[in-house]
Amino acid sequence: MGTVQIRDVRKSFGTFEVLHGVSIDIEDGEFVALVGPSGCGKSTLLRMIAGLEDITAGEIVIGDRVVNDVAPKDRDIAMVFQNYALYPHKNVRDNMGFALRQRRVSKREITERVEEAARILGLEPLLDRKPRQLSGGQRQRVAMGRAIVRNPNVFLFDEPLSNLDAKLRVQMRSEIKELHQRLKTTTIYVTHDQIEAMTLADRVVVMNGGVIEQVGAPLDLYDRPASLFVAAFIGSPPMNFFEGDFVDPTTFALADGTRLKLPVPDPKGRRHGTIGVRPEHFTLEQSGWPATVSVVEPTGSETQITARLAGRSIRVLIRGRTATRPGEAIHLGVEPELIHFFDAAPVPALAEMEDVA
Amino acid sequence: MMTETDKTAARRAPVKNPKRPAPRRGRTTDLMVRWSFMFPAVLLLVTLLAYPIFYTIDISFSRFDIATFGAAEFVGWDNYREVIGDYRFWESLKVTMIYLAFALPLQVVLGFGIAYLINVEWAGRGVIRALFIIPMVVAPVVAGGMWRMILDPLWGIMNYWLGLIGVGPMDWFGDPGLAMASIIIIDTWRWTPFIVLIATAALLALPKDVFEAARIDGANWWSTLWSVAVPLLVPVIAATFVIRWLGAVKMFDIVLAATYGGPGKATNVINLFIYEEAFRSLRFAESAAMAVIVLVLTMVLTGLFLRASRKLEELF
Repeated sequence: MGTVQIRDVRKSFGTFEVLHGVSIDIEDGEFVALVGPSGCGKSTLLRMIAGLEDITAGEIVIGDRVVNDVAPKDRDIAMVFQNYALYPHKNVRDNMGFALRQRRVSKREITERVEEAARILGLEPLLDRKPRQLSGGQRQRVAMGRAIVRNPNVFLFDEPLSNLDAKLRVQMRSEIKELHQRLKTTTIYVTHDQIEAMTLADRVVVMNGGVIEQVGAPLDLYDRPASLFVAAFIGSPPMNFFEGDFVDPTTFALADGTRLKLPVPDPKGRRHGTIGVRPEHFTLEQSGWPATVSVVEPTGSETQITARLAGRSIRVLIRGRTATRPGEAIHLGVEPELIHFFDAAPVPALAEMEDVA
Repeated sequence: MMTETDKTAARRAPVKNPKRPAPRRGRTTDLMVRWSFMFPAVLLLVTLLAYPIFYTIDISFSRFDIATFGAAEFVGWDNYREVIGDYRFWESLKVTMIYLAFALPLQVVLGFGIAYLINVEWAGRGVIRALFIIPMVVAPVVAGGMWRMILDPLWGIMNYWLGLIGVGPMDWFGDPGLAMASIIIIDTWRWTPFIVLIATAALLALPKDVFEAARIDGANWWSTLWSVAVPLLVPVIAATFVIRWLGAVKMFDIVLAATYGGPGKATNVINLFIYEEAFRSLRFAESAAMAVIVLVLTMVLTGLFLRASRKLEELF
């Protein structure tokens, strides 16, 4: 059974704690993405599941076994690394068969299983090539093949697509998804790319600073972010935030005195807070929040407008086309259910959001 | 090993600043500035390297005049003919080859082996690494003398220790076979640390994730060594071999200090023989001819090694 339970797991390097107690329950066959900015502990957690890092405190259970003291090879897991980690001197066939050879599986069975995996991944014509004779995408496919061949209970992926160019990344992304739908093997996938996490996973675990910010289905995170961090991290282009005071339940005053009419009051009745609206949830109205258009970027299916509201730059995404011109004054409306309320906090600067494909 | 991106970066590196205009300067001034920078290096190379080589080649084709200490009349291949007919020359070459055939593989295997063993994380690793450098900083002549004491048949500590386990006493410098063994032991003591150093650096530079992949794949210590570490290290091992080969061909000082070619001619390596012929027997022209032959042989063999190591790299 490919269930994985992570129970209050902590990790310290020396006296520096990088994971401050993390618990996740992963069901058999589930695809879980661990996502977060660099340094959030997602890779460390994955490496702890793999057995490449010790567990400082807490328990990791794979199947019905506590694996804290089990060697990586006996955990019944397979891992795909960011830099592929192929054995450079072995051809594709031997790379994929290596684990089975170590297990003294019969030659005939190794051949069968390698060829089966090669067929699934379309690697048949490449079986006799060395890794350096392969392109990045092919290497990644071999790395996946090496994992499949072992028929493990759990697949671990450590940022497998970050070395590929944008177009290939999108293609490999759907290949991974297809593979998971076909094999239905429990998969834990680490990425810093929220789009990858959203598109691939059944459940996304958003991590930040060694703790879990939120666990949920991709669209849950998008629709109901539990914190400012998740709200800022999930979604592209990112959510717009405004900090200010609730003068009355439906009037929000920004620092410069601009007053925004809210379609709904804050359910928590805060006096001071941050409100967030996704760019795609603004609508152009006759009246509403006043803003001045600074840039209009049409892409055909949608138009991204950068505008200034109370001296701040905001992003507005309109489906279809608009006749709006830079310099024009516009009014923005928001659907009542699409406005988010948070405790006031600095909006996290997430540099990595920008390198999203 | 370079990744694709590294390679492109390296290729692009020289054109980092294509826009900055070159300062205007006359062609002559420019040339003078360039040569004035190169002059010290050129001078050094010419006096210490080029001149001695050409001088050696010159006298190897001449009769040597002791009075002027230079080449007298041209004698063509006479010196070479004489040297090639001299059985002692071939004996010395053979001795050198025996030494190389044992010392090089021993040092490379030991060096990489020790490096692999001490590469595991443990406290005090740094201290051990530092200790390893000591043999390299001891002057070769001193090392030879020191080892002569250690291996002394009568009061050397080696025979004392061997006696404790019931071996010996061994006549380290008296027996022809043992004398060669002593030279190889001393040379190995001196040079293995150097290889350990190179090998350690190489091991540290290896991609960690491949080893992690091997751990997950269930490779044990032995198959990690043979299926992962050694193949990854092949280019470095080959390069180390060539470096050590070039150093070992020059073997002279340790033999001079420890055995002086003896007993008989058992450890009379080619360089010691050339040195003896030149500065004891004053047969400078003939030794020059021998030196040139050894130089050519070394160059040819080095070329072969380099070619073979490139082939080996392609294989892996």
